[in-house]
Amino acid sequence: MKLGIVIEVVKNVFTKPMTVLFPFEKIEIPERNRGEHEFNIDTCISCGACARICPNLAIEMVEVPSELREKYPKTYPQVDLGKCCFCALCEDTCPKESIKLTTNFYFATFDKDDTILYPVKAE
Amino acid sequence: MTEINEQKVTGDFSMYFGPAHPGSGNFSIKCEMRGERVLKATADPGYLHRGFEKLMEYREPMQNAVLSDRVCVLEPLQWNLVHAEAVDYLMEYEVPERAKYIRVILAELSRIQSHFIWYAAMSLGTGFMTGFNIAIGYRDYILDVLNLITGGRVYPAGYICPGGVRKDLPEKAENKILELLPKIDYMRKFALKQNPAWLARFKEIGTLTKEEAIKFGAVGPILRGCGVESDVRRDDPYEIYDELEFDVPVMDDGDAYARFTVGMQEIEESMKIITQSIDRLPKGEVKTPNLKPRVQFQKAEGEIYIRNELSRGEGAFYMVATGQKTPYRVKIRGPSFTHMIPIIEHLLTDVAYADVPAIYWSMYQCPADVDR
Ligand code: SF4
Ligand code: SF4
Repeated sequence: MKLGIVIEVVKNVFTKPMTVLFPFEKIEIPERNRGEHEFNIDTCISCGACARICPNLAIEMVEVPSELREKYPKTYPQVDLGKCCFCALCEDTCPKESIKLTTNFYFATFDKDDTILYPVKAE
Repeated sequence: MTEINEQKVTGDFSMYFGPAHPGSGNFSIKCEMRGERVLKATADPGYLHRGFEKLMEYREPMQNAVLSDRVCVLEPLQWNLVHAEAVDYLMEYEVPERAKYIRVILAELSRIQSHFIWYAAMSLGTGFMTGFNIAIGYRDYILDVLNLITGGRVYPAGYICPGGVRKDLPEKAENKILELLPKIDYMRKFALKQNPAWLARFKEIGTLTKEEAIKFGAVGPILRGCGVESDVRRDDPYEIYDELEFDVPVMDDGDAYARFTVGMQEIEESMKIITQSIDRLPKGEVKTPNLKPRVQFQKAEGEIYIRNELSRGEGAFYMVATGQKTPYRVKIRGPSFTHMIPIIEHLLTDVAYADVPAIYWSMYQCPADVDR
């Protein structure tokens, strides 16, 4: 029994720790990870399928700021990450692959407005 | 949280175990005490009620698949599976063979990580922090693989969805799962070591007889720990379980240690299931062809009660469809309900207060599925 403990201790001294020294080291995030959304307004056809499937009603179809309205005349999805449950149903349902969930999950914030992802920002 | 009960003799008082106790989870038990002994216990659930049954009546099945994760945080893939099977039946979906295998592999991985939490919680409840840390560490290896496959560490967001699974396994996922097995086996053996402190805390504690277990409606490892061989995977096979070889571990003692040992032995059986499923994993589709993410009940009519063997025992969905977009009625049967209310009240009669956490965690409860 005692020898068993010694062997276990020696083994543990030489094995790689289970944890990493965050934020200096990071673990690899798999590609499928459902993190922050990435939206491509140029391929979006404004069908609204993403807004309809969203279980949390986190997507609202909105108009873009007036100075860009000529270029983007329709309505586009605006995601409120504060309401989102990161299910990626919007990604799966989009016919044009315009909305995608990325591996980025660093978006903790103190400002409520930071949680809104606008389809396009005014210059 | 302590009230002195003046009508009784000095030394009688009520004490709450939870919901703010570090070892209680989101559940509370009111204990009538005489000195150090618990005379009578009353379960006080409701801290995690989220109203899934009603919510599901307002959402479409694909959205409900996402919601079904949350019924029990500790075994979300298995709840996904029961929900998906209920919808599959009502919509008459032919689930592709490959999807069935993937469903089973993931459900078993989910069972193993849940059993690790059981060990972790029992360790935490009895002050064995090393056990807690090790179990949570080994569980993390499984979560990494779940993240690779489903895109989420804890919540798969309805990965097991009506009609199959949402995406095929990513490249090399089979290898990653097989690489996990030796780590799981190490942890399983570690948990089963005859640690004298562990034996002192759990042996002959919280003993439930076979008759009582049946009378109160115990299921899963709690029932099998009392000597009753019962397992939905064997008795009423679903998916591909009837093609797989595995044993149903049973122990006769009925105490906390027996229940836990049954759980740890189940990990070995789950490993067998995973190895066989990966060996036989067929190629092909993983979702009913042409199924849009928006699954509607437009043409479904009828009702179904479908049950699965979850980590904690028999969990079930009752669903009624009346041709509307959303289900007409959903009823969820969580395995922890009987364990946490009648059985825990019965077991916590005339016991030492120090044994309350040991008995409580040996019931392998999930307050989330009691309240739903
Ligand atoms: S990830 Fe899910 S909850 Fe979030 S915006 Fe997309 S559909 Fe809505
Ligand atoms: S992001 Fe996709 S689903 Fe949403 S409106 Fe644009 S094209 Fe349609």
